[in-house]
Amino acid sequence: MDTIIIDGLSFALPLFIMAIGGIYSEKSGITNLALEGFQGFGAFIGALSAVLIAHATGTDIQNLFYVSLLFAMIGGMAFSVIHAVLSIKFKADQVISGVVINILALALTTFLTTQINAIVFGAASDKFRLGVSERFTIEGLANIPVIGAVFTNVYPFEVIIIVIAFFAWYLLYKTKFGMRLRASGENPHSVDAAGVNVSKIRFSAVLISGLLSGLGGICFAYSISANFSSNIYMGYGFLAIAALIFGNWRILPTLAACLLFGFAKSGGAFIAQSMALPSSFTDLFMILPYVLTLLLLIFFSKSNRAPRALGEIYDKGKR
Amino acid sequence: MSKDKKIKSLRYNLIRPMSNEKWQPISIPIVSILISFIAAAIVILLIGKNPLQAFYNLFQGAGILPKPSYAGYKSMLTDFLSLLNAMTPLVFASLAVAVAFKAGLFNIGVSGQMLVSGFLATIVVGYSGLDAIIAKPLVLVIGMVAGGLMGGLVGWLKYKFNINEVVSTIMLNYIAQYVISFFIQMYYIDPVSRQSKYISEAARLTLVNVEIANLKMDIPLGFILAIIIAILLKFVMDKTVVGFEIKAVGSNRNAAKYAGINVGRNTVLAMVISGGLAGLAGVTYYLGYFSSIQPKVLSSIGFDSIAVSLLGNSHPIGVIFSSFLISIIDQGSTYMSSQAGIRQEISSVIIGLILLFSACGAYLKHKVSRLKEKEVDQKESES
Amino acid sequence: MSDYIVEMKHITKRFPGIVANDDVSIGIKKGEIFALLGENGAGKSTLMSILGGMYEPDEGEVYIRGKKVQISSPNHAAKLNIGMVHQHFKLVSDYTITENIILGVEPIKKFAGLFPYVDIRNANRKIEELSKNFGLEVDPTKKIADLTVSMQQRVEILKVLYREAEILIFDEPTAVLTPQEIDFLLGIIEGLRNGGKTIILITHKLEEIKKVADRCAVLNKGKLVGMLDVKETSTKQMAQLMVGREVNFESDKAPAVMKEEVLKVEHLTVKNEDGFEVVKDVSFTIHSGEIFAIAGVADNGQVEIADAIAGLTKVNGGKIFLEGKDITNESIRNRTEMGISYIPEDRQSFGLVLDFELSTNLALKQYYREPLSSKGVLNKEEFEQFGSKLIDKYDIRSGQGTKTQVRSMSGGNQQKAIIAREIELQSPLMIFVQPTRGVDIGAIENIHKMMIHERDQGKAILLISLELDEIMNVADTIGVIYNGRLQKIASSESLTTNEVGEYMMGAKHE
Repeated sequence: MDTIIIDGLSFALPLFIMAIGGIYSEKSGITNLALEGFQGFGAFIGALSAVLIAHATGTDIQNLFYVSLLFAMIGGMAFSVIHAVLSIKFKADQVISGVVINILALALTTFLTTQINAIVFGAASDKFRLGVSERFTIEGLANIPVIGAVFTNVYPFEVIIIVIAFFAWYLLYKTKFGMRLRASGENPHSVDAAGVNVSKIRFSAVLISGLLSGLGGICFAYSISANFSSNIYMGYGFLAIAALIFGNWRILPTLAACLLFGFAKSGGAFIAQSMALPSSFTDLFMILPYVLTLLLLIFFSKSNRAPRALGEIYDKGKR
Repeated sequence: MSKDKKIKSLRYNLIRPMSNEKWQPISIPIVSILISFIAAAIVILLIGKNPLQAFYNLFQGAGILPKPSYAGYKSMLTDFLSLLNAMTPLVFASLAVAVAFKAGLFNIGVSGQMLVSGFLATIVVGYSGLDAIIAKPLVLVIGMVAGGLMGGLVGWLKYKFNINEVVSTIMLNYIAQYVISFFIQMYYIDPVSRQSKYISEAARLTLVNVEIANLKMDIPLGFILAIIIAILLKFVMDKTVVGFEIKAVGSNRNAAKYAGINVGRNTVLAMVISGGLAGLAGVTYYLGYFSSIQPKVLSSIGFDSIAVSLLGNSHPIGVIFSSFLISIIDQGSTYMSSQAGIRQEISSVIIGLILLFSACGAYLKHKVSRLKEKEVDQKESES
Repeated sequence: MSDYIVEMKHITKRFPGIVANDDVSIGIKKGEIFALLGENGAGKSTLMSILGGMYEPDEGEVYIRGKKVQISSPNHAAKLNIGMVHQHFKLVSDYTITENIILGVEPIKKFAGLFPYVDIRNANRKIEELSKNFGLEVDPTKKIADLTVSMQQRVEILKVLYREAEILIFDEPTAVLTPQEIDFLLGIIEGLRNGGKTIILITHKLEEIKKVADRCAVLNKGKLVGMLDVKETSTKQMAQLMVGREVNFESDKAPAVMKEEVLKVEHLTVKNEDGFEVVKDVSFTIHSGEIFAIAGVADNGQVEIADAIAGLTKVNGGKIFLEGKDITNESIRNRTEMGISYIPEDRQSFGLVLDFELSTNLALKQYYREPLSSKGVLNKEEFEQFGSKLIDKYDIRSGQGTKTQVRSMSGGNQQKAIIAREIELQSPLMIFVQPTRGVDIGAIENIHKMMIHERDQGKAILLISLELDEIMNVADTIGVIYNGRLQKIASSESLTTNEVGEYMMGAKHE
């Protein structure tokens, strides 16, 4: 039971922070299917900086976790510039742009990983080994039945994510930036008429989504996979999108959706393990989050309301 | 001539060939490809290799240019046939994306649809021992039906529950991938290759190692079918009521509904056709190019096909040309890697870049027309 | 220093293909109501957009309070105390009135001296005060989505006042209002002037100018053709200047000869996506040879009635009969076949496929029939011929004939294409929703003539319009809708404009 909660949380929270990134982008009016690519590229830059620094200074890669976190956010943000430029400046179809970016991210990071491994480390490897970040347990609280698991074997990034998520909520709903951002997704003309630059707002919203996705990606790399390789493209970004759709583009309900996915995944793995089924059965349980996504979409898609101007190309020249 | 003026005239000459609207569907992709190759050349230069050499090797590997030497039973012709063999599923897959796109839908589930139809055809026909004359057509039919049903499901979910097809196809991709991996590992695994057991030669859509004139070649039967279907599709989309309705729905759902077109039916229909084509891609891939299925892996063709389709302007004939190009990059990469010492993975980077620049096509078009307007203005003010 | 607060000298502004303003010079005095009169496309909005910072002029100079300025953005205009009340409201419907008004100029407070946040509470208070001062009472915490059109307009006005504008530009402010609401608004405008504000009123309605304006500039095809003292000029003179020829306000129309019943709507109820009843228990009939018009303020359910008859929206209660046959549950295609033509309100998102060629759009309702196609195969030659025929007959102007992409055509010609296609169907019932919106005066006359002609041919016509003048001019029978209910059905001769206006506001009902 405890492992379900522990593993579920460590899966759900990185997903959640990506979904918040998606909310920012989509609330500003930019459809964002590129979360998958952002998180992969962010994780790549994070992992790369960790292995390079470890190589150069001889530091244990475990200790570079926070450094790589920082670089992953920068990397994700840098890559998201492509989506911002394509869909805001070049007025490309936002869905196409998102799909293209995902494909490019996969190709680019796979190529660069092998290339850099060969050049810098002289190894024929398609991954950067990172290990699993250290965990901590809050004594006292961990002893509470059931809920105690929440405070057991916690990854530091889980705390970081919760802090950032709280700040993201404040920024989106309490500040003038957030107010203008949400208005841009509902009626960009009103924002424009108020003398605020819609493109700038949207640009920063997409960059924020890149930054947060990069954070989510590196968290997965430092926990579930313990390395960076093309396996990072597991569809986390798409699960995050599904989560924000159920969450009706609102932060708290999105958290609930992410937790649901997390527990479905860890619960499935737990059942497969505890029933001592052969390893191929884990494959069958792996589909749980995806099936759940489809089922939930069937129930929620109709009642949900996307931001009104989502995906529309904004042309302010037209009266 | 001042530097500023030089740049201007350079830009002018670069854009000029694109200013003719009639040729834009061709000129813009060509420009995107050129830019991508230039970008790739820069990457190759950065690694310290010779890009021209690399591109030359790429074409050699694909059987377009002769290699200095060939192994026994091999020649440029066999290489070229291998290219066509690899290209066949890509043509089908790209047509699948193109049809959906005409209906305003994004079929990202081609990989999953390929896998499901390939898997079903494998277990129903591939392991059956049926005669070639029955087995081969049956493989095609199963591929089409399985893919069509899966595509239709996506269309139905979109129309009935308003589920974004991008999300649903991706979910179905993962589900297909894991479920089929489970079945292969439980029931159909070949313990040596760690893939599904090989299918019978009778069921295979590519004739392998056919000896003609002292050459051993692979003859892809599906290739001819791919060309026929592309032409047929062009006819359907351009000249028939069905194609008209699908395009109307794709261009403007509201107006289509207003004109009395059944939007739901056409959404599902377009996805059935798209899925059916993806199914054909699946059987020509898993029961043609290959003869077994690797568990837990989705073919990259499903994603490359988006690039191909974009590049080919979602036009059936354009798609044939763009698949040809992408196949060359893909097929030639092994040889290039061995000859020029450049990682094979660069080929997907090149494809990714082509895709990226194709996505900017709309912007290019816009820029070109703006430039034209300026030109006209200038002429007017000069005169 | 001149006595003008705003001076625009020799303004020229060109767009590809047209000269929107051609050497226009005007001067506006502080504290007056200055009207800008002209047809659609005469260049009024362009001129004011230059003043509002949306466009920069190609030639000419702008002086504000005697100082030469280059107004580079709406922000800059706001700094010069110029504010624009837009014709198409620019409001976020999910936001409250306050949030909409403060957007862009949000008052900020800091939480714990560190975290800035938008001080909504204070803003609410300020807006309540402001609204009382100008007689524009609103509840600042209400959401825009819950407001009527005229209340939304108040918010637009408050937005400008909140930004401390001294020079207020009203762009066609009365287009969407009832006569009573118009009177109220004109009262507000006069009040603002008396409070010392300078008002610029863009309009093509002569009575309004006559009522409130002090002076009036007339534009025609981008040129300034007159600068008038309103008190000394008759509406007839103004109209002639505006159009450049004599105009006939009333359409000549023989009395209706009504024959058999064509459309019968019984207890029609329609719900929108959110489950609200937007059409409530509506019943009426239209006869052959009759123009039945539904008058009402925007968003009172009239468009949903048209959609329900044409089959574009689901009916939740009641029945619809066409020539005696129950069509309540028929498909859209079947209804077209049985005899309904429909000119929709939104021509770009419903009436046309903008990326298709003109000939294809003209064939949009008949492409599947002989001779345009046979056995499921399209006949492109027939498409061409059919297209050319309609282009000639209805005088549709386009760059490349049948091959023109509809997207590149002007709004007026797009509308002509739709009307041509729908009239050509020769359906017994023709539905016209806002057929003259955004079309210039000459074309409006023409469209009215076509409607009357079809009526005289024995067609039944349902006209839905927000322009009360149009309805009073053309209709034989008028139904007035308010809040989804038909308040009154009567022959047009038995109703006055004011009465219709009262019914439109729900102030009067049977």
